[in-house]
Amino acid sequence: MIRKVLIANRGEIALRIVRACQELGVRSVAVYSDADAQAPHVREADEAVHIGPAPASESYLRGDHLIAVAKQVGADAIHPGYGFLSEREWFARAVRDAGLIWIGPPAEAIAAMGSKTAARTLAISAGTPVVPGTTTPLRDAGEAAATAAQFGYPVLLKAAAGGGGKGMRVVREAGEIASALASAQREAKNAFGDDAVYVEKYIEGPRHVEIQVLADAHGNCIALGERECSIQRRHQKMVEEAPSVAVSPELRKRMGDAAVAAAKAAGYVNAGTCEFLLDKNGDFYFLEMNTRIQVEHPVTELVMGIDLVQWQLRIASGERLPVLESPQPKGWAIECRITSEDPANGFLPSTGRIAHLHLPSGPGVRWDGGIEVGSVVGLSYDPMLAKLIVFAPTREAAIARMERALKELVIDGVETSREFHLRVMADADYRAGRVDIQWLESRLPTLLAQQAPAETRAAAAIAAALLADRERGGRRVAATPEGTASVASTSTSPAGTTGRAGGSSTWAQLARLESLRS
Amino acid sequence: MKYLVDLGGERVEVALDAGGASVDGVHHTAHLADVEGTSVRLVTIGGVQHRVVARRGNSRGQYTLWIDGWRFDAEALDERTRAIQALSAASAGPKGPAPVLAPMPGLIVRVQVAVGDTVQAGQGIVVMEAMKMENELRAPSGGVVRAIHAVPGKAVEKGTTLVEFEQPA
Repeated sequence: MIRKVLIANRGEIALRIVRACQELGVRSVAVYSDADAQAPHVREADEAVHIGPAPASESYLRGDHLIAVAKQVGADAIHPGYGFLSEREWFARAVRDAGLIWIGPPAEAIAAMGSKTAARTLAISAGTPVVPGTTTPLRDAGEAAATAAQFGYPVLLKAAAGGGGKGMRVVREAGEIASALASAQREAKNAFGDDAVYVEKYIEGPRHVEIQVLADAHGNCIALGERECSIQRRHQKMVEEAPSVAVSPELRKRMGDAAVAAAKAAGYVNAGTCEFLLDKNGDFYFLEMNTRIQVEHPVTELVMGIDLVQWQLRIASGERLPVLESPQPKGWAIECRITSEDPANGFLPSTGRIAHLHLPSGPGVRWDGGIEVGSVVGLSYDPMLAKLIVFAPTREAAIARMERALKELVIDGVETSREFHLRVMADADYRAGRVDIQWLESRLPTLLAQQAPAETRAAAAIAAALLADRERGGRRVAATPEGTASVASTSTSPAGTTGRAGGSSTWAQLARLESLRS
Repeated sequence: MKYLVDLGGERVEVALDAGGASVDGVHHTAHLADVEGTSVRLVTIGGVQHRVVARRGNSRGQYTLWIDGWRFDAEALDERTRAIQALSAASAGPKGPAPVLAPMPGLIVRVQVAVGDTVQAGQGIVVMEAMKMENELRAPSGGVVRAIHAVPGKAVEKGTTLVEFEQPA
């Protein structure tokens, strides 16, 4: 077994890996930038090493430095988490060349699957159905326009090295393609240092269903069921669940077989995910393979009763898979990504210091988070703060449990996606499972424009009045020279005295207050 | 004391007295208490508890409230202050169309309008990048571009005025 793991990541996934290490009796080494010196993942690890300033390019993306640190602390393996260097072939290769164990697929499998164009070529050769598209990056706008005309609009522009919606554009008419291509290339260049973009036919109305696979180094590979990830905004997943309402045991078997075939064709080892579009007829198309542990892995863990991150370590240590038949899911799991984005303001990123945090708990609730009170949420990293995950016997019970957990959750200090998730959970379409990957974008305006029930509005109005009244009382006394402010500012009694402090003196007092303000 | 509470554009009258609050002529017992060591306040209305998190806004009486899974932008002012405010607002004269402000710190990617352009409400004006995502900022209302302060490639702070508008002639 691996003895000591350097975790080349941050936030909730770094903490998730620390937890897996601790349960396996493996030592963990966290790394941190200036911005993360106080982060929970740093403190929970057995050791921690400072690796540079806040910008990821000068800390979490410095592969050679991370390898040097791993050697220095005597780690025998590196876990890359997701994002950052997790799907960089050169890094996987450099780790191996340095005599360290890479907790992920071999560099060759990343090369075969990491680039979407290469993955398509491989899938086509393995007989897995794919969406019509180009297999080489677009040279220029002229080629983009010609190819799009051939497939017919709408088309999708995608960064070859992409992920998380960055460098992606849907183009609905010929007039838009040149500017969309420039924009996608610029975004891809900034996010991944690679501006290769390709184009494919855009299939309207499909679901995003992905298959988790786990392969050991002895040639065994199994599928661990599907995850339904159709609730997306700008190609960014917001809510995931397992299993999917659209997948029967028979379809699960077919999709699982296709995923395993693709993984085997790539010589895949360790945990990976094949993403598919599933249309209304039950036809599915291979999109890409994510050669890493995924953000949404917990929903699979809950319905399959397996610890995927522990298995990543065990497979990297040479262990064999204990079962060679794909299990069936048991129960229902839902995950909501809690992000520091403001749904009321176009999901713009919100920054600040976490002033208060109350975490939901109780039956079937799991919180995979990377924040705590005092954490500063900045703009240097991804806005995902945590994942709230629930597990229950049925989908209906899981939704009720998620609503309950979201209501328990309090995060004060930054705007979060919490209210957005509550609206999704209450939505009739969502509850009936009538969603596709376009559903959220079209539903979002009405979802966010919903009015609270009259009773809640009245309660909010009373709360605001009580708060204003308390502050008014506090300020009034604070202005007096005797300095009895502390008593009155914490008084919670409603006003009623303020306005009748005695004839003309009230006005004099208010005038004095006005002059003191500003 | 009577408070006029603006709740996301809707006006609610709340009359506070020693025992509670009246809304729309219905009286409720009402009590506000802090939960020690937290940002949470417990507002009990007619015996029903509501956990409330409130963040103070930029001016007096303004709060963002989180209550029972809903978020409200509220402004609670007593009757007299509200009257003074209405008078001063009226004397300040009509304001032009709202400018586009930077809603977050970030980098200006490009400006999609020129001075003198007529824009519609909702039209994309400036593209900003933050967290490696491009965000298009839209015109809050229609108007004619009067001044452009955003420069592509320049970083801006939250709240920076990027583009100003005037009423069409």
